[in-house]
Amino acid sequence: MLEVIRSKVERAERLSADEGLFLFRHPDVVAVGLLANQVRERLHGDRAYFNRNMRVEVTNVCVASCLFCSFAKLEEGAPGAHTMKLEEAWAELEKRMDDPPSEVHIVNGLHPGLPLSYYEDLLKGFKRIKPDIHMKCFTAVEIHFFAQLYKMTHRQVLERLRAAGLDSLPGGGAEIFHPDVRSRISHDKATADEYLEVHRVAHSLGIRTNSTMLYGHIETFEHRVDHLLRLRALQDETKGMQAFIPLAFHPDGNGMRNLPAPTAIDALRTVAVSRLLLDNVQHIKAYWVSMTPEVAQIALRFGADDVDGTIIHETIYRAAGSRSPSGLTTAQLVRLIQEAGRIPVERDTLYNVVHEHPRAALPEAALKVRDRMAARHLEVLS
Amino acid sequence: MSDGRLRVAAVGYLNARPLYEGLDREPASSRIRLDCAVPSEVARRVAEDEADLALMPVAAAATIGDLRLVRGCAIGARGAVRSVVLVGERPIEELEEIAVDLSSRTSVVLARLLLRAHRKGSEPRLVGLGPREAVAHVGQGRGALVIGDPALQIEGRFPHVMDLGTAWNELTGLPFVFAAWCGRPGALSQDDERLLERAKQAGLERRHAIAAEHAERTGLAVASLRAYLDEAIHYELGDDERRGLERFYDDAARAGLLPAARVRFYDEDRKTTTAAAPVSLDALLSRAAEGQRLSAAEGLRLGAEASLFDLGLAADAVRKRRHPEGVVTYIVDRNVNYTNVCTTSCRFCAFYRPLGHPEAWVLTREQLGKKLQEVVDAGGVQILLQGGLHPELRIEWYEDLFRWMKSTYKLGLHALSPEEILHIGRLEGLSTRVVLERLRAAGLDSVPGGGAEILVDRVRRTIAKAKCTSDEWLGVMRVAHHMGLRSSATMMYGTVDTAADRVTHLVKLRDLQDETGGFTAFFCWDFQHERGTKIEPGENGTLLYLRQQALARLMLDNIQHVGASWVTQGPEVGQVALRFGADDFGSVMFEENVVSSAGTTFCMNADAMETRIRAAGFKATRRNVHYQWLTPPA
Repeated sequence: MLEVIRSKVERAERLSADEGLFLFRHPDVVAVGLLANQVRERLHGDRAYFNRNMRVEVTNVCVASCLFCSFAKLEEGAPGAHTMKLEEAWAELEKRMDDPPSEVHIVNGLHPGLPLSYYEDLLKGFKRIKPDIHMKCFTAVEIHFFAQLYKMTHRQVLERLRAAGLDSLPGGGAEIFHPDVRSRISHDKATADEYLEVHRVAHSLGIRTNSTMLYGHIETFEHRVDHLLRLRALQDETKGMQAFIPLAFHPDGNGMRNLPAPTAIDALRTVAVSRLLLDNVQHIKAYWVSMTPEVAQIALRFGADDVDGTIIHETIYRAAGSRSPSGLTTAQLVRLIQEAGRIPVERDTLYNVVHEHPRAALPEAALKVRDRMAARHLEVLS
Repeated sequence: MSDGRLRVAAVGYLNARPLYEGLDREPASSRIRLDCAVPSEVARRVAEDEADLALMPVAAAATIGDLRLVRGCAIGARGAVRSVVLVGERPIEELEEIAVDLSSRTSVVLARLLLRAHRKGSEPRLVGLGPREAVAHVGQGRGALVIGDPALQIEGRFPHVMDLGTAWNELTGLPFVFAAWCGRPGALSQDDERLLERAKQAGLERRHAIAAEHAERTGLAVASLRAYLDEAIHYELGDDERRGLERFYDDAARAGLLPAARVRFYDEDRKTTTAAAPVSLDALLSRAAEGQRLSAAEGLRLGAEASLFDLGLAADAVRKRRHPEGVVTYIVDRNVNYTNVCTTSCRFCAFYRPLGHPEAWVLTREQLGKKLQEVVDAGGVQILLQGGLHPELRIEWYEDLFRWMKSTYKLGLHALSPEEILHIGRLEGLSTRVVLERLRAAGLDSVPGGGAEILVDRVRRTIAKAKCTSDEWLGVMRVAHHMGLRSSATMMYGTVDTAADRVTHLVKLRDLQDETGGFTAFFCWDFQHERGTKIEPGENGTLLYLRQQALARLMLDNIQHVGASWVTQGPEVGQVALRFGADDFGSVMFEENVVSSAGTTFCMNADAMETRIRAAGFKATRRNVHYQWLTPPA
């Protein structure tokens, strides 16, 4: 079947669910990566994208009880529970204004007691500090929660927030769509259909979104394929998804702490198969926080074309035991990409090019030796 | 170093002298700087870019790869050569064991090809010995390959002799070429070639004087030496000789004894407007994936031009052929440093302290015993014990320690890298052999391959001035292997080394392994530089690690195992490396001091190792230092 898939990939034909499953199960991850890399290089050449962003989580109070989460605390007032004052949240940007990010990425717990105006004011405040900042805020799960809490439609919530400064939606909250899994790991938040519906509405309003998949816990490869194909179907309909981000499950301190930690091979395999199945999504992101910067480098050769951004202060994965640092500098990200043999391209949230960095002098001094030999050849010939 | 003159190296042997007559005098010496050395050193200089041209054995030229030859000058034979002979008390075809000087690669490869041809594939056992010992070794079913002056000295002594020049000529109808002027493409001008041609003419005219000088020095008969230079040695390198050399290269490559090599002359590069048609990268990769021997030039080219995937897939193919069971091994052992006192002050090291420093320590028996008991309790099988080069610990201290460890705890003792063996030898005024014999008697089981860094002295002088030279490091391993001690081999790159240095390192390991077969496995890692080290990192990074490990798997065609260094690269990258040519996942980590003092601190227990091995698509099993499976793979 690999031969059939290979020729389909070469002709840029769509792969089936069975073929996706075959790729997930294939023992030779390098062979799968090779195919994904072909697609990746066809779409993006050697470019690899990153942006300068910052993360803010304004509240970890959450009514949902997802098994995989080590971050949210159920109730206000519980030990460790915290909801920022608006000024605290804004201060995160203010203190970075000498080298400001281009994007603020906000995801939160589902707080039952905050008014919608809190979020509107939150957005407005960031825009006051830096009018051209891109606000990528609130997962579809939060939007759905707001709609229920404030008795509004998805469209109404999105329009209100957009008027306050919302620019796009992050992809979190997708977890695994299949009800067999979703009912067990996150039964009390937006269903798959509700998540997808929020994205559909956002796209219809011209709001771009990302999407994700949380893998590596109790789901099967069939569930992963099902998940990817649901996203592919929505994208066929709306074309509004910019990037897909596979997220590895980390087991520390959450309701599935007895599961094994994620492995690099699974991360690379998932990146690769996502690249191959999601033929209508432009970007596949190797989220370095989830997979470590080193594995993200390798992933840039296994189908990924983006490593997310500088982040600065990621807390959700760290709570679940990720060893990745909480932020990287622009220089570190550039080097990370250069070492992978790719061309670092700083982008904004909508993938407009901000700055294209040079390709590294290849890490092989062999090239210098070769040049020297070539020079000798030329001397001889001249 | 370079004064603009052509750097020329030549072997100093009698039969070579006519080829460089007068090159050390005006007018030639204004253009050429001539040095004489032993054959392996001559080849090394070209390999490491310390010489532009060398009169080197043809096997060494094939190993370096992509060299050019000077037409018209060589050391060869059209029939009997007299100075390269197999001797025995019984017919050569019946010998069971032959003593050879394994560093004379060209003659050894020739002997093996001829023996195979004469014996229809079955080969006698080869044992490495020096020339005098080789002659003494002859008797019963034992013969010897004798080369150079010793061969001339023993003419007529043994009833059965195979002159390899004669045998080659009878087998192929062609002349044999033992050595020729070889250098990098473009290194030589037409004028330089004329100088060499003139030197040869002058040398041939002075042959009798050269023979007389040599006779005086060695006591060999003048008439015999004259005849040797006049008749036995053939100094031509024309079309016939080229065909002979090409036939040798083809046969040796087919037998897996040398990298596939082509013969190309400097004047051919000059005549044609295009460079020699390069072998396609695809062809090179498939040869590599088939496990064929690669030259240094080919290794360098793969490292520079092949994609990550190509290298990974080729290395994985080699891994699969060597280890078709799909099993990845790991060992439960513990890395214990008995002291952090060290006298070498390596600039990449954050671990050592000078003697008398407030943070200097030597482990007590009590501290050590606690660590060893923990290993026993955890089902461990081995201790990897290394220092510091402590200036005051005597060999008796090590002997007592080893005896105590072996009698108290039933653990394998993988201890003391070559640098420490040399250090103890210097301290005690003992040879490497004696040090190793005493330590083995006290309980040493195998020798770790640490301290190899990069086996190129230019690099070593920069990063570890006080450390042993490449030859000393390899020399300790040679002695250990000849005594039957096995060792691992390592490479630490990513300081001031270039890709060419790294390939040279691999070739040196491979050459020694051809001689001894004593290396069990190869591990590499990049310089870890987070704190306390005094040099800047050079070429490193995750992708380079994967490429480097894959390239090592492709180059090291005679080392059975390649391990992934998860301790330095992290468990994640270590796991990915299992798909880039590795069949071993190294060791469960109780502690590691040297790398971790430079900032790398990863930990992994046996369960986590097995989980990762299985997730990479392999079965997992525990091993001992000899890579024997201790548990059924699962």
